[in-house]
Amino acid sequence: MERVLEADSVVTRFGTEVIHDRVSFTVGRGEVVALIGASGTGKSVLLKEAIGLIQPSGGTIRLLGTDVWRSSADELNALRRRFGMLFQDGALFSSLTVAENIAVPFRENTDLPMDLIAPLVGFKLALVGLAPDAGSKTPAELSGGMRKRVALARALALEPEILFLDEPTSGLDPVGARAFDALVRVLSESLGLTVFIVTHDLDTLLSIIDRAIVLSRGKVIADGPVSAVMQADDPWIRDYFSARAPLVPEAS
Amino acid sequence: MDSAAGWIEHETEGDASVLYLRGAWRLANLGAISRALKSLPPAEHKRFVLDGSRLKELDTSAGFILYRHLVGIGCTESTVSARGFDPRHRKLLRLVHERMTCPPSAARSMHLGLVQRVGAAALKLGRLLRTHSAFVGVVVLEALGLLRRPGRFRAKETVAQFEAVGLDAIPIVALVTFLIGVVFAYLLGVQAQRYGANIFVVDGVGLAMCRELSPLLAAVIVAGRSGAAFTAQLGTMKVQEEIDAISTLGLSPVQVLVIPRLAAIVVALPVLVFVGDVAGVAGGMLVGAWQLDIGAAAFLDRLHAVLPMSAFVIGVAKAPVFGAFIAMIACRMGLLVARDARSVGESTTSTVVQSIVWVIVLDAIFAVALQSLDL
Repeated sequence: MERVLEADSVVTRFGTEVIHDRVSFTVGRGEVVALIGASGTGKSVLLKEAIGLIQPSGGTIRLLGTDVWRSSADELNALRRRFGMLFQDGALFSSLTVAENIAVPFRENTDLPMDLIAPLVGFKLALVGLAPDAGSKTPAELSGGMRKRVALARALALEPEILFLDEPTSGLDPVGARAFDALVRVLSESLGLTVFIVTHDLDTLLSIIDRAIVLSRGKVIADGPVSAVMQADDPWIRDYFSARAPLVPEAS
Repeated sequence: MDSAAGWIEHETEGDASVLYLRGAWRLANLGAISRALKSLPPAEHKRFVLDGSRLKELDTSAGFILYRHLVGIGCTESTVSARGFDPRHRKLLRLVHERMTCPPSAARSMHLGLVQRVGAAALKLGRLLRTHSAFVGVVVLEALGLLRRPGRFRAKETVAQFEAVGLDAIPIVALVTFLIGVVFAYLLGVQAQRYGANIFVVDGVGLAMCRELSPLLAAVIVAGRSGAAFTAQLGTMKVQEEIDAISTLGLSPVQVLVIPRLAAIVVALPVLVFVGDVAGVAGGMLVGAWQLDIGAAAFLDRLHAVLPMSAFVIGVAKAPVFGAFIAMIACRMGLLVARDARSVGESTTSTVVQSIVWVIVLDAIFAVALQSLDL
């Protein structure tokens, strides 16, 4: 399987505090992978290092064959058009309407005419399950779940090969969270997307994830199919999965 | 490769039109694909067959454009069939088809004409001013409530605000008024020297600084410095739901947040005006000694003789009124902030503009009223 994301002995230090101590993992094309771990283990930091927002103190990260931290600004910008990122709270531009938010990547990165962008924006909204009239609203008027869907539409605008999701279901009600999970799974299967999710949500993990990577005390302590990770002999992993013990047999 | 043939080939098979999709149907080529679809000859047959055997790549945007075109020429599910697609492409097309069932409309933001914009802005301003007066009423009621229960007055917060608004602003107020004193004395001196009336520069500088310039400059600086800060602080607290939290804890946001700021600014601004008076006169003295041959002692003697006490008192007495307006506007605009980041910026700008305009309007009212009273 082609490797689309490779982290090789990534080290991250904030001051004297070591967040990642030689973290290595790979993600293959078409996989839906989750990065889990307790709060404060640097999951989101690792995600931001992978997409070129925070520089790691050491190690290499290769995304789609490009070394993220040893490439020129032009290479990095070319790379940025090939992945989509969904930030934790959506990070929609509050001064633009929903439709304008989704139109931004089209307008900045393609030379499509406006009369083609407008229907494409409408289609992207439909793709993430929103009604077309949502387009004229401002982000402040949307519920949390809708904001995430709009952000997903924006992340999917340029037909990315990889989708990065940072806590996609946090702040959603269980019904909304499961619907969002299903949407991600449908999209990843139909579009052949590689999906890399940072999550706390056990239900997400048990329903749509092919493989889980567990980060603890600065290291990867488990990496494999969810069913295998669940059996791993580590106190944190045991606590994590036993938090919802009665549901585990049903879902697996 | 802009011709239709590069992307799509059209053949007839029996009673059906067969469309062979070719090449990479991707977002990057969407403009060309869209033109290719438009340049297809009008359909002679009712039935269409999509053939994907020559297709290299397909993404959702291109799939959507294809579907849109087919729907546009009147195709329905029963008249289009597909064949020869890679399973991945078939899956993708199915997804596009499912999501297409609600035809997306192009949403665009409304553009208003000039008259409508002027009208909307005027109504908004009217509404704002009307609700301002309601806010003043609320603050006065809360302040009266404090008189009954003085224990609830937040002395610590007030002192902290006084430090930020008053003491921290002393250097900048002193610098600005000093420089204005220098400029004013210099320009006045150039004129006065022609008539040998050097000593009258003292009258001019003393009166202008104490009565008009120092209060106005101090108020403008406080509006820009502290007014903006109040709005941004309260606005951010509003965004983070801290204000709701204060209410939920059984406290009054007005008593906790607004009244300490109001009190701090009402006390601090006269202090700053006094600092400005001193710095402005000092600037005048410097020019007097340096350009006009008026020594410091002679300057102060003259100032003592000609500057009426009333000019100083009027200058200092205007300050609390300016301060009250600035604090009210700043806190009100902070509490008006909506849930998004842009709103904090808009409200902060609005605070500074409204405060400065109000200070100047009030100053004009004072000037006319005091003139009528012969003060």
